[in-house]
Amino acid sequence: MDSLKEDLKKQIIEQLNLEDLTVADIADDALLFNDQGLGLDSIDALELIVLLEKYHGIQLTNPEEGKEAFRSIDTMAEYIRKRKAA
Amino acid sequence: MNKAALYITAASTVSHQPTFGNPGFSSTLGPIVADNALISPDYKAYIDPGLLRRMSKILRMAVACSKDCIAQAEIEQPDAIVVGTGLGCLHDTEKFLNTSLTVDGLLPPTSFIQSTHNTMAGQISLSIGNHGYNMTHTQNTLSFEHALLDASMLLREGDRHVLVGAADEHIDILEDIAAQLSFEAPARLTSGASFFVLSKENRGNAAAILTDVHTTGGIENAEAEIDAFLIRNGLNASDVDLVFHAGEPVQGVKGNVPYLPLSGVYATASAFALHYAVDSLQTNASLKNVLICNALRKSNLGLILLQSVEA
Amino acid sequence: MGVCITGIGVVSAIGMSVEENLSALREGKSGIGPLQYLQGTKASLAGEVKASNEDLRKSLNVGTEYVSRTSLLGLQAAREAWGDNKRSGVIRTGIISATSVGGMDRSEVFYKDYLSQNSPDYQVLTTHDSGSTTERIAAELGISGYINTLSTACSSGANAIMLGARLILQGTLDRVLVGGSDALSRFTIDGFRSLMIYDEQWCRPFDESRAGLNLGEGAGFLLLEGEKSLQLTGNRPICNVSGWANAADAYHQTASSPDGKGATLAIENAIRRAGIGLNEVSYVNAHGTGTKNNDHSESVALRNVFGDHIPPFSSTKAFTGHTLAAAGAIEAVFSVLAIQHHLIYPNLNYQDSIAETGLVPATLLETGAEVNAVLSNSFGFGGNNSSLVFTRYE
Repeated sequence: MDSLKEDLKKQIIEQLNLEDLTVADIADDALLFNDQGLGLDSIDALELIVLLEKYHGIQLTNPEEGKEAFRSIDTMAEYIRKRKAA
Repeated sequence: MNKAALYITAASTVSHQPTFGNPGFSSTLGPIVADNALISPDYKAYIDPGLLRRMSKILRMAVACSKDCIAQAEIEQPDAIVVGTGLGCLHDTEKFLNTSLTVDGLLPPTSFIQSTHNTMAGQISLSIGNHGYNMTHTQNTLSFEHALLDASMLLREGDRHVLVGAADEHIDILEDIAAQLSFEAPARLTSGASFFVLSKENRGNAAAILTDVHTTGGIENAEAEIDAFLIRNGLNASDVDLVFHAGEPVQGVKGNVPYLPLSGVYATASAFALHYAVDSLQTNASLKNVLICNALRKSNLGLILLQSVEA
Repeated sequence: MGVCITGIGVVSAIGMSVEENLSALREGKSGIGPLQYLQGTKASLAGEVKASNEDLRKSLNVGTEYVSRTSLLGLQAAREAWGDNKRSGVIRTGIISATSVGGMDRSEVFYKDYLSQNSPDYQVLTTHDSGSTTERIAAELGISGYINTLSTACSSGANAIMLGARLILQGTLDRVLVGGSDALSRFTIDGFRSLMIYDEQWCRPFDESRAGLNLGEGAGFLLLEGEKSLQLTGNRPICNVSGWANAADAYHQTASSPDGKGATLAIENAIRRAGIGLNEVSYVNAHGTGTKNNDHSESVALRNVFGDHIPPFSSTKAFTGHTLAAAGAIEAVFSVLAIQHHLIYPNLNYQDSIAETGLVPATLLETGAEVNAVLSNSFGFGGNNSSLVFTRYE
């Protein structure tokens, strides 16, 4: 089990008040901003930027840049690893 | 001025009393006591989970009451949405204020977005997909009366059904502030939301007739103002069967009931009083003219006159 | 005769009066710059009114220290609009102000002290609620009776004007002072920064490179009179407010719809209410905040309504900053001035048109233009869209 991905799920549930969801409900490849996935919106995208800074020390100042990174848990984890490695 | 009658065709209240989805409640309520908590309906039955997860208490109350009203009135869409609130979305305001003063890094935006006074009216329009007139009045203890007056005007301008209501929410710091400012509340501080559908016609579902509504700020002589209001509606004080009042009782009428002990104290508690009065008119056939006299704040006077539908 | 405007007043980053604002507009001089009076914010640029609270209290002769900057700015503009008019027992007079955050400029100072338990002054909170900012202005002007406040975020000021006009037409009031006021605060600056739409450089409305807004502060007020009031006061109408509409976008909590639905409805209905043809609109004072989303959506709405014949338009936000609830009222005053002085204002900081829409705003001051009808747009959070139409008094 990938602990970064587990952490991300926990953090997302908390940051976005996804009261009805548990970590097990979020698939690693589920599309976060798609109605078939989590159905998040542009306000959530901003909350995810805050989350990246708060928990992972990563600053992302251009919301456009987040679009690719925030596709799924998989892409978020990948983005964090890349930024930390850089 | 001869004005056409306006009808209240739906009413819904979330409060510290069993008011929600409970017609006839007015005959059973006693004064609220310390352990009467806010009674929340199952919000999931009324609000889309995507919206619900972000909503504070005041938003949940307002949207649930609105949806309940629209169902009761059996209308697809109201032509307009008009909301009154004395202090607005306090929970999110305090939350963002706190964040802004204590967090150094990036700030989460959700509480800021939801701190604006018109979040309720906006969320209602979003929840039901309404593109009509959307207004928020915030005039202290008269916020609801101003909203009701606006709604009445809209119907006279041609609208058929207007969703109108008010809400205010309690947060803990209010207790501290009230104590520090030596505000002697006539009852405990509470939260509440009451919404109504005001309609141009009675399709057999009207619960009461809204005869008139009036607001005065910076008032000097409340008694003279009340007299003038009754006279312009062709009434004497003795024609009024019942007054629900915050502040002093009204002289010369058949009966007075203080409503703050029932609702608790919040800036738009007169909206609770309106629902209480509408419910009373439906359960008590002997009532004909009912007045709501709101002087919760002494310098502001709000008057709402109702008539029974059969009258 | 309709609803006449007989008095105007304004205070903003470009001046303390109508005259000062007008000359800055003519000179193309922006009031946006580094903050001098509001301390402790992270904004590098904002449209601050160039006066301290103490200056304002002194010049307005307000004794108490328990008054918000929102009230002081409102009073400054309201006094100018009210002019030498007298209270009257016969003319039913009211006041409607608009504010988004009321006395937050003072409450946030209280709250900071409260958090650190640094002897917070609770008395300050009596100036917090939005309604109290209007009650204070009313008390200073001696207006009692109909006193009301609207709060619909960035469209509030326009809505106050609309409500005032309706109250006169319905015969509820004969005369009403309408407007809006908002002071800069750390709360709102941080708020727009958290939305990542606060530009650290000059805002660039309708420009392809736009990256957000600069906040501003100020107030605008207009005195509206109906026929009965005019007969008694003998005031000379400056122009008419003849069209208004409000519509909900019902698309998203903050974002405007890409098809500009709410904005389109507001513009169309306001022009219809004014009873003029689309080709009679001489100038559009746009909402044009400089955010990616608003300017795109507003451009689409203008295109929806006017097709290929969009009248000259500009945003004056690059002069004043976005003054939130005051914006609709300040820009109403600018619209009246455009009719009065035959002006079309330049849209500052514009270079390239937005790729998707290609709309080009007016970029140079036009004097001697034939301006007979002005459309003014104000769009806010929660999808609250309002449009007003001002027309030359005939």
